[in-house]
Amino acid sequence: MTSAPTLRPPRCGPVPAPSREMGLWVWKVAMALTGGVWALFVLIHLFGNLKVYLGAHAYDGYAHWLREVGYPLVPHQSVLWALRVVLLVCLVVHITAALVLRSKSRRARGAVKAAAAPTVSRWMTVTGILIAVFIVVHVLDLTVGAGVASDHFTQGSAYANLVASLSRPWMGIFYTLIMVLVAAHLWHGVVLAFNDLGTTSKRWRAVAKVIAGCVAVAIVLGNAVIPVAILVGLIR
Amino acid sequence: MKLTLEVYRQASPDAAGHFESHQVDGLDPTMSILDALDTLNDQLVRDGKEAVAFESDCREGICGVCGLTVNSRPHGPTPNMTACHQRLMSFHDGDTVRLEPLRSAAFPVQRDLIVARDHLDDVVQSGAWVSIDAGTAPDADTVLTTAEVSERALTFAACIGCGACVAACPNGSAQLFVGAKLAHLATLPISQPEARKRARTMVAVADANFGPCSLHGECAKVCPQSIPLAAVAAVPKERIRALRTDAHSANG
Repeated sequence: MTSAPTLRPPRCGPVPAPSREMGLWVWKVAMALTGGVWALFVLIHLFGNLKVYLGAHAYDGYAHWLREVGYPLVPHQSVLWALRVVLLVCLVVHITAALVLRSKSRRARGAVKAAAAPTVSRWMTVTGILIAVFIVVHVLDLTVGAGVASDHFTQGSAYANLVASLSRPWMGIFYTLIMVLVAAHLWHGVVLAFNDLGTTSKRWRAVAKVIAGCVAVAIVLGNAVIPVAILVGLIR
Repeated sequence: MKLTLEVYRQASPDAAGHFESHQVDGLDPTMSILDALDTLNDQLVRDGKEAVAFESDCREGICGVCGLTVNSRPHGPTPNMTACHQRLMSFHDGDTVRLEPLRSAAFPVQRDLIVARDHLDDVVQSGAWVSIDAGTAPDADTVLTTAEVSERALTFAACIGCGACVAACPNGSAQLFVGAKLAHLATLPISQPEARKRARTMVAVADANFGPCSLHGECAKVCPQSIPLAAVAAVPKERIRALRTDAHSANG
């Protein structure tokens, strides 16, 4: 009737030495910092986007200024390219860290999945992948002017290119949808970044939540509304 | 009260597991989940069958050994409560209740509902202790600590190491557990001087066996000691601080 007890005896002696591979906390800090750089960029980009409401002159002027900022102290476009390089490096680090941490999570969790609530935090990989796809589409559409760009794309006419591209309903809907996802990604991401940089105090954790909420609302109100405004003809 | 208990059975660490369904009569809503298992075991032994193996000790919510999964939730349906305190009144007469061991790759099943939580012990053993001789009680009392500081330390020191936080985590992370230990020991004056050395070893050992934290917040919902979610941020906080060595430590 009874089988012999098969419980493992308690282990004695020193704890096995941890492996020399990079700790998970390093990846987490890297994600928080690189995500923070991108969050700041998104906010600055959002500020620039608002010029679309001031008309073609203001918008094109801003686009021109971005290329010329720093001249003659530094060559034409050098600030722009420095920003592009920093952003690209941050993106690569952020995505690499995400993949490493995701694989570690899956291995640590094991075969039986947790019955956890479907919070925004559980959709970070999905929203992240879609945002990465959007970055490629966005650069092709409005910077390079290839592939998915509109037929009327002209290098240097930022306002006209924007209106021509987002007048296409499918593109307008895609931009709006992605901006809602960016807001969701940052809503959790900002709070998580504060957390991963070691914010334990009640006050600062509350501040992180407020900042995350404001960033998310700003992205929806400022960015996601632009394609809608173009589609309904408010911006033309 | 009558319940159908779907219980996970696994004969040994290497054996394959399966679920077994048993009807248990004569239960009372004031009984705990462990009482229901006791009743089931009485019934199984009477019928000449093997009793379900599960861990329990104090049955008053302070020892932390009774972790098990009830209907996919560590400890059971009531938030922040050990399995031994969870009452059957959470269920309706005739319900089916699924009982499993705590689920995580870091907690291999030993038998039925019993898992090995050695990896939590590894973290504690690697650094959650104080090597400074604090003398006798009067000596320790000469180092004054404010009530506020000791209360904060006690909030985190309340962790009973049951492992529910790990089992609730979609990432299999032990960060609530590790953070509670680090925050507790970094707050008090006797343990503070070794805080950096401690953070380095404990985080390294935890990172080797558990997953990373994504702040899903599931851990704090099941923690029977209601350790605040802020504890998870104590891990990066103490680890980043530990980039510099301890001022008063010869070896760290």
